[in-house]
Amino acid sequence: MSDRGTLRIQQISAHPGPVAGEGVQRQDKVCKLIDTTTCIGCKACEVACVEWNDMPFQTTYFDNTYQTMPDTDWNYWNLIKFNEDQHDNGSFAWLMRKHQCMHCEDPGCLRACPADGAIVQYSNGIVDFQQEHCIGCQFCVSGCPFNIPKFNPNTKKVYKCTLCSDRVGAGLEPACIKACPTGCLHFGTKDDMKFLAENRASQLREVSGFQNAGVYDPDTIGGTHVIYVLHDATKPERYGNLPAKPRIPLSFTVWKDIFKPIGLFGAMLGFVGVVMHYVFEGPRREQPAPPVVRIDPPPPPAGKEN
Amino acid sequence: MATSADRFVHRSNPIDRMGRTVVYTGELLRHPVYTRFLHWMVGIFFFLALLSGFGIYLPWIFRFFTPLFGGGATTRFLHPWFGLAFVFFFALQAINWLQVMRWTPDDSRWMKHIKQYVTRSDSVESPETGFFNAGQKMQFWEIVGGCVAYVITGVIMWLPEIFGRILVAISYVVHDISALVMLFGIFFHVYLSTFGEPGTIQAMTRGTVSEGWAWTHHPSWYKAVTGRDPAEALEEAKRRNTPPPLPPRTL
Amino acid sequence: MTNGWIDIKNTDMMLIMGGNPAENHPCGFKWAVEAKLKRNAKMIVVDPRFTRTAAVADLFCQIRAGADIAFLGGLINYAIENNRIAKDYLVNYTNAAFIIKDGFKLPEDGLFSGFDAATKTYNKSSWNYQEGGNETGKFVPGVAGEQPAHGDEAKAAVMPVSTAAKGAASTPPPPPPPSLPPNIAYDLSLQHPRCVYQLLKQQYSRYTPEMVERITGIPKDQFLKAADLFTSVRTNGDMKKVATIIYAVGWTQHSFGTQIIRTAAMLQLLMGNVGRAGGGVNALRGHSNIQGATDMAGIFDILPGYLKVPSPADKDLKAYLDRITPKPAKPNEWESFNYWSNTPKFMVSFLKAMYGNAATKDNDFAFHYLPKIDRNYSWVEIWNDMYQGTVKGLFAFGMNGVMIGPDSQKNIDALKKADFLVVCEIYPDETSAFWQAPGITPDDVKQINTTVYRLPGAGFAEKDGTFVNSARWLQWKNVALPPPGDCRLDQDILAQIFLKIRELYQKEGGKFPDPILKASWAYTLPEHPSLSEVAKEINGKALADISDEKLGVSLKAGQQLPGFAMLRDDGTTSSANWLYCGSWTEAGPMMQRRGTDDPSGLGIYQNWGWSWPANRRVMYNRASCDLAGKPWDPTRSQVWWNETAQKWVGNDVPDFKPDSKPEEHMGPFIMNPEGVGRLFVPLGAMADGPFPEFYEPIESPIENPLHPGQSNNPVVKKYKTAMDKYGTAKEGYNIICTTYRLTEHYHYWTKNNPMNVELVPEPFVEIPAELADQMGIRGGEKVKVTSARSDYIAKAMVTKRIKPMMVDGKKLYQIGMPIHWGFLGISEGEGRTAKTPANLLTPTVVDPNAYTPEFKGFLVKLEKV
Repeated sequence: MSDRGTLRIQQISAHPGPVAGEGVQRQDKVCKLIDTTTCIGCKACEVACVEWNDMPFQTTYFDNTYQTMPDTDWNYWNLIKFNEDQHDNGSFAWLMRKHQCMHCEDPGCLRACPADGAIVQYSNGIVDFQQEHCIGCQFCVSGCPFNIPKFNPNTKKVYKCTLCSDRVGAGLEPACIKACPTGCLHFGTKDDMKFLAENRASQLREVSGFQNAGVYDPDTIGGTHVIYVLHDATKPERYGNLPAKPRIPLSFTVWKDIFKPIGLFGAMLGFVGVVMHYVFEGPRREQPAPPVVRIDPPPPPAGKEN
Repeated sequence: MATSADRFVHRSNPIDRMGRTVVYTGELLRHPVYTRFLHWMVGIFFFLALLSGFGIYLPWIFRFFTPLFGGGATTRFLHPWFGLAFVFFFALQAINWLQVMRWTPDDSRWMKHIKQYVTRSDSVESPETGFFNAGQKMQFWEIVGGCVAYVITGVIMWLPEIFGRILVAISYVVHDISALVMLFGIFFHVYLSTFGEPGTIQAMTRGTVSEGWAWTHHPSWYKAVTGRDPAEALEEAKRRNTPPPLPPRTL
Repeated sequence: MTNGWIDIKNTDMMLIMGGNPAENHPCGFKWAVEAKLKRNAKMIVVDPRFTRTAAVADLFCQIRAGADIAFLGGLINYAIENNRIAKDYLVNYTNAAFIIKDGFKLPEDGLFSGFDAATKTYNKSSWNYQEGGNETGKFVPGVAGEQPAHGDEAKAAVMPVSTAAKGAASTPPPPPPPSLPPNIAYDLSLQHPRCVYQLLKQQYSRYTPEMVERITGIPKDQFLKAADLFTSVRTNGDMKKVATIIYAVGWTQHSFGTQIIRTAAMLQLLMGNVGRAGGGVNALRGHSNIQGATDMAGIFDILPGYLKVPSPADKDLKAYLDRITPKPAKPNEWESFNYWSNTPKFMVSFLKAMYGNAATKDNDFAFHYLPKIDRNYSWVEIWNDMYQGTVKGLFAFGMNGVMIGPDSQKNIDALKKADFLVVCEIYPDETSAFWQAPGITPDDVKQINTTVYRLPGAGFAEKDGTFVNSARWLQWKNVALPPPGDCRLDQDILAQIFLKIRELYQKEGGKFPDPILKASWAYTLPEHPSLSEVAKEINGKALADISDEKLGVSLKAGQQLPGFAMLRDDGTTSSANWLYCGSWTEAGPMMQRRGTDDPSGLGIYQNWGWSWPANRRVMYNRASCDLAGKPWDPTRSQVWWNETAQKWVGNDVPDFKPDSKPEEHMGPFIMNPEGVGRLFVPLGAMADGPFPEFYEPIESPIENPLHPGQSNNPVVKKYKTAMDKYGTAKEGYNIICTTYRLTEHYHYWTKNNPMNVELVPEPFVEIPAELADQMGIRGGEKVKVTSARSDYIAKAMVTKRIKPMMVDGKKLYQIGMPIHWGFLGISEGEGRTAKTPANLLTPTVVDPNAYTPEFKGFLVKLEKV
């Protein structure tokens, strides 16, 4: 992976016109690979995330689980989800999945965002929030199929994992990758990570007896820049509600991009209508109508012409 | 229609007795101060909500609206409050008008002649047209419905943590549609109260209308408040009305 | 660890038991994952709970806490029955072929031969080899006599405990133990009924899969699955594959902990897995430097380098050295390096390091300055003595004694009786605040006369020096930050206390001031000894010009020693720990090396840090080769015999006499006088039997199914103070409880750190879902756990990761709790659970060999609060 120019902007939310510098440099897509089959839930990634991003600590509460908190938060972008997975046949698994922004190829948050420049997608695939442009409407929250963006009620802004764009831009791996002790996290180009993931999945199928092992890289949102190796790729929901087919709500695609302008045009027809009515029908005046008086143009004043 | 007309004529309601409306000879009291106050509050907040909403609705067209309110974040912050204020004042207006906005068989008959109304084929409105005509009532009830939609969907969008992303995504569309419908209607409202039917806006400024305006646009109401037959009044006025002398030529 | 962390990547099979490395050693666990990814290695996890480690295992068995010997014994039985053993290895590298003396009895009734019920000790004279050399082929089946019956001893075993205990109070010093025969009898055909192999076979033939199920609660089919998988590396005796066994304090913290580890070692010897890359028996140490603490005599009965402490019976240095230096004991036809025969060199060098010029040949190198240990001064004994008023003061450095337990309340009460307590810590800890423990009222505090001194110590990142990791690597670390405020380095505090004491001795004299006054203290800044100076002192130096022709080394006086081969017993060398000799040589500090070259790809990293002994990464690595000196698996060549050079060479440093030809048949286990691995431990090395036998934990819900008459370990001592109560199932203590750590916390420190507290905010009790359903407990509700000692209140974590189990026909439940909370810290504040030191519950009872308390597997009651 090239370590320079990784933070070239590719898309900007709600921004008119082209993106500066587009197409100037070829850019590899980056990707984070999470092998859930070797994750031990040690939370080193959680700590690394909090520390690198200098997040304030918060009070947590015991919730009958090893999971740090029920969901990610505006100041907690990286959370391992623990799931006790009991099967009817008696087999049992304790599934651990590192949950964070998936950096979708087709980001629902970016589609939903109405603020110019609040969400950008870099050409390396990282989807990043620019809080100084965020208007706090939280449309991104409903646009996201993974429930990632989190609102801070104090700053009135939305925050999420940046895939350590600051580190990646400097040629480093994200902090969570750096901290992972077992090597269940990998970072590199999307092609490399896909290759690694597929190899691991086939090892799981052939050697470890997980017949449904596979790679989670959902094409419903054009793939993601965070991919998983799962023991059972047919049922990602078992891993703490990872959606099998994540989708951006239609309201942020069909409605926002197509029907919204059409609707506006429709509403504007009202204006056109009344103007046309005035022109073609004219006003209704109170009756009796004042008598119509024809006013002739005044004759030219005499004597002023040469 | 007698009941509703009485309310205004006799100024029995303490709220309606607020303030002072000057009624000149040849004029009729149409809207007391309280109603006018509510109307303009509704109007102001409607447009504030509309403009701030536009900045969020289609920023690639209307991005110049957000700076009016102090930038995107402030716009987003203010919009729900504008909306709430709009709904609040409109709710008061709705209570105020609940009686006169009731749909009557006359309104259904009016609707049958809507084509004549639009094309102005009659010089005055049909004699059963009361304090508000059916078109006005329709718009009123549309706004009532719109406000309900605004509040429900608006609160959902305001507090997405509580309601979840699917409800928000649906609300977002409903809110938009409601706004578009209301915007569509508002063009007619503004047009008909100004250019479309001259003399109307005075009802919301000074609170009075001329008797002529009354028998022209709301004959039944005219009859109710004056006790005179609007058609006869019109004929009488026509008879009285001689062409005015030519204006003096000054040029 | 016999091997090392990185070496785990070379394995084909992992048995992880009595440990939860994913939880407690996540960084080292990467190598286990690496083995899975790169070698398709299998991982079997056996634990009372479905742990984080189990989450990535190929096979998980839920075992009853404390039933480990039964499981491992079952594996030994399975391996023998299914011929999944390493025959050549067994015959040549272990004592399988050695013949045991007539009169030795296996513990069918729970007792080995020689048990004295009065003293609760064994007379171990029958636990010995027979004299006589090669007996191969001489034994004819059917002629050998039956084992003699030992009816008297069996009767003694069921004597009431009170009678036996009376005798234990005044244990006379044991008579000098008989020694090993110089020419051991052996039968290479392994047919002799008293050869170790046959005895082993007989001993574990009782550990059938059915018996394993009855004791451990692991269903038979699941046990057979695990047994088949683990022993599959030795299918048909093929030696290519290697299996490793990984454990931690889940094995050591039992009243028979050492014997569990022995069982694992025997299984590994039986399968030929010791000494090989990817094999071994690997103890994962629970602290960053616990290995270093042990090497440097962290235990009362050893000196640095595992030299035994002198006893009052050792009249002089010679008597002492004669007692502790093993004599060669082997079949005459075989060779044995018997490396401990160098003990005098190690000892004299140690004394020279301790007392410098005051140690001379004339005064026995100041041997009489050393304290002579007359009895057990282990951890639990110290607290017991303090509780009984005989220990008057305590220095607590780097440990939180009240919290560590066992039986925290007893420790708190003991401190109330002490005159003084000095605590050096980085936080105010529970030990220094014992007078604030729950239940102590302000009036009670007035009754406590203990003077408590708190010394602000420095954290690990504020000190330099070495850590010795589980893989025996010495690695130097640098200072990251200066100590904050008034905090001081530990060595400064200790030095200043020592110098002050020495000053007092100088002024006031005293009974025997010499050991203090003449102790060597040759640091540049005596009040601030630098740790590099200390490290150099530990390595040792030449005190005169010495040379060794064979090694080709000659040193001038004052030069650092290159290794322990240069140590002398004539006072010309000094070394504070012979095992660390070679860690700071004339070439510099070896522990500071950071070379990352690994030509073999086996993860040996010869130039990274320094590993004792002699920078060897895998111990006993001679055993990785066959008799001819060729690696069992050529793809994992560690060392081998080079015929041309007539030397042992390799990627690792050979753990062997470098020029011993394979034909000489020198045993690879050079630290044993026999030279071979011990399936049978002769004589005094183990207090409770030459073979491990399954005994119930002191608090157990069932009688031992093997021998109900002798349920517990017969040599284990119960304490008798008012605080020492032991619960039984009859009294209603019928739930098995175990304690453990969490990856999110480090002992009792991190409860003071907001980030760790954010990860796991509160103490909890893990309760099986089925039990919780029965008792109507929902997750998050407070429960009270009561043992015979005390109680513990925390929120319930209702989990499916612990299942009910059928043990000996009874349905049993296990619960567990992490140990990280006490009564000081962020989460112990207002509104949170208060009574949370887990060790309030644990019993005071220790393993008779290592004196480790039985923290795992005690009995409790559970109720909703």
